[in-house]
Amino acid sequence: MAETVLSEMPSLSKLYVNAAATAAKSSLLRTAPVVALPATAVEVRGVRPDLTKVTEFAHLMGEPARDVLPSGYLHAFAFPVAMSVMVADNFPLPLLGMIHLRNQVEHLAPVHFDDELSVRAWARDLTGHRSGTQVQIVAEVLSGDGTQLLWRGVSTYLAKGVFLPGLDKPVEPAVRVDFVPPAPTAQWRLGVDTGRAYAAVSGDFNPIHLSILSAKMLGMRRSIAHGMYAAARVLATVPLAKPPAYSWDIAFDSPIFLPATVSLEVVDRRADDGAWLGSDFTAWNARSSRKFFSGSVAAS
Amino acid sequence: MTTPTAAATPGSSALPVPRKAVVVGGNRIPFARSGGAYTHSSNQDMLTAALDGLVARFGLAGEEIGEVAAGAVLKHSRDFNLAREAVLGSALAATTPAYDLQQACATGMEAVIGLSNKIKLGQIDSAIAGGVDSASDAPIAVSEGLRSILLDLSRAKTAGQKAKIIARIRPKDLTPNAPTTGEPRTGLSMGEHQALTTAQWNITREAQDELALASHQNLAAAYDRHFFDDLITPFRGLSRDSNLRADSSLEKLAKLKPAFGKALGEGATMTAGNSTPLTDGASTVLLASEEWATARELPILADVVDGEAAAVDFVHGKDGLLMAPAFAVPRLLARNGLTLDDIDYFEIHEAFAGTVLSTLAAWEDEEFGKTRLGLDGAFGTVDRSKLNVNGSSLAAGHPFAATGGRLVATLAKMLHERGTVDGRPARGLISVCAAGGQGVVAILEAR
Repeated sequence: MAETVLSEMPSLSKLYVNAAATAAKSSLLRTAPVVALPATAVEVRGVRPDLTKVTEFAHLMGEPARDVLPSGYLHAFAFPVAMSVMVADNFPLPLLGMIHLRNQVEHLAPVHFDDELSVRAWARDLTGHRSGTQVQIVAEVLSGDGTQLLWRGVSTYLAKGVFLPGLDKPVEPAVRVDFVPPAPTAQWRLGVDTGRAYAAVSGDFNPIHLSILSAKMLGMRRSIAHGMYAAARVLATVPLAKPPAYSWDIAFDSPIFLPATVSLEVVDRRADDGAWLGSDFTAWNARSSRKFFSGSVAAS
Repeated sequence: MTTPTAAATPGSSALPVPRKAVVVGGNRIPFARSGGAYTHSSNQDMLTAALDGLVARFGLAGEEIGEVAAGAVLKHSRDFNLAREAVLGSALAATTPAYDLQQACATGMEAVIGLSNKIKLGQIDSAIAGGVDSASDAPIAVSEGLRSILLDLSRAKTAGQKAKIIARIRPKDLTPNAPTTGEPRTGLSMGEHQALTTAQWNITREAQDELALASHQNLAAAYDRHFFDDLITPFRGLSRDSNLRADSSLEKLAKLKPAFGKALGEGATMTAGNSTPLTDGASTVLLASEEWATARELPILADVVDGEAAAVDFVHGKDGLLMAPAFAVPRLLARNGLTLDDIDYFEIHEAFAGTVLSTLAAWEDEEFGKTRLGLDGAFGTVDRSKLNVNGSSLAAGHPFAATGGRLVATLAKMLHERGTVDGRPARGLISVCAAGGQGVVAILEAR
């Protein structure tokens, strides 16, 4: 795959401005849609995490800030590169308003805050979805010299209402299964400022998370919590002590409109000797019983 | 049924104990001057880091420890379960119980002694004592006025009542309350109290600067010969105590202006150089029964022989605020049939150089020995070549509750390295003074 190497970590705020400009331009010009993904990966080499931000991130999630980085933080760290892929002129889907469906992450080795790192991202699997078009963005965090893969995240996004010519939709409509909430093992009370607080530690200032007004401008009725906030918050306590390598997977069923009370069930899977093998988690709206998300964490 | 024939009498030799409590090892993070490397680290972060390192060093992942006791002097109200939360965030089995304790600067010492006693009694087989403090991330509370208004507000029922209560808020209520080093009953800071004691015992500026210099030189030498390699885990990029000044000199120390006791004029001898700075850090010590340590093939560095607490009436100046160890040590040694001459290493916590020197002066003073300690004469002299030989708080810094763990782990390792003296196990004494006119001291013996 061809590569675009950036000289520094891109600024997320500039990327969002670019995304808004692109959206305005395409609505004015109504250019013919692009139906192929760019065949280019974007890479940044020799970058280091900001220790202050790492600490704030861990504290927001309610976990002790360690010298090794939380898995969710690595997503935030790689996010500007992933977003650069999505704002490129030849990227077929509009960035703003995209819905976050799923994250699958392999955390392959502990990453120390002082490690020099490289980040690589590209898009794959542009496919039809019953309510639009979905795409996967792969982001990888590697050692500074690019030789050792440390962390790999695959994020699935949906551009709702965008139907590109020639893309197959799944034949079978997804079967709706009624969700019966189990007994909760935890509860989160998320204030209206949850999105702003996560934006401050992650740099992800997507307007749909910041305020009711900015969310309404993008067609949401209220602001919503970042999906990665939910994932990182689960990972803060699942498992309590992190093995050197583990994987996790989270799928989002419905947006968490703020403020919200989130009920959560976590079920551990253990070996006969009590060693942690993995955990499954499910979260739902404490009032309406609507499912928010579910997923699993497993030792590698 | 038999009736006990010999009741224990206070001050008699130590009662026989069913079994020994031993020090397996310790782990701390380097201590950092406040506002330095750990500025944004919470007590929870630092205690967890120290615990993580201990777990890694001794292979304790998944292990259920008998009990963990730790504390912090400057503590946020949200950290009410600090020790237990640190355990839950660590690789120790989640079934490890933990409790918080706090005895000002003696917190770490009291944790070690209390847990050792439980091990000796057979209540637990293993334990971790710890302590942590952050002067950088100190808790700040709302003013008393605002606190009272907010509590009334939470009890108010109607909007009218609430409005009335909110109207009580005055600008002065918005000034927050920050913790101070002041004694609540005297309003004097610890440094001001010590300045009075330093002057009372005629401790010179030169003697204090010499002690401070020795602390820096000894600590630097200990780092250079890798003494701390198995006692410290780096944190936040720091691998040595950031207060350490290996290149300090008497000339540099002599240039510093007095920081405490300025009202004493010419008698003001205490400077930032011969006083400990505000510091952030955490420490842990692994304690066990001999059986527990042996079964896991873990090292045994030292026995925790005995401990003693004392307190003085400092409020109206009868004794200096930090002089309680001057009373605790004679009692502890007498109970164990020992004198100062039987001690091979002294670890006397350097809250201020003046504290150490005032304590030594009191022990050498005939009048003090007779009238205050009830002895025939002076208690004795500490051989200065045996004092704080690997440096102490003046160089390392003093994160209040973390100092006890630093001292116990350091001394245990020194004793183990020394082995025997004149055919008996090498013996060490730890002495820590604390706010409120308190002190906690202990004896360790080499294994």
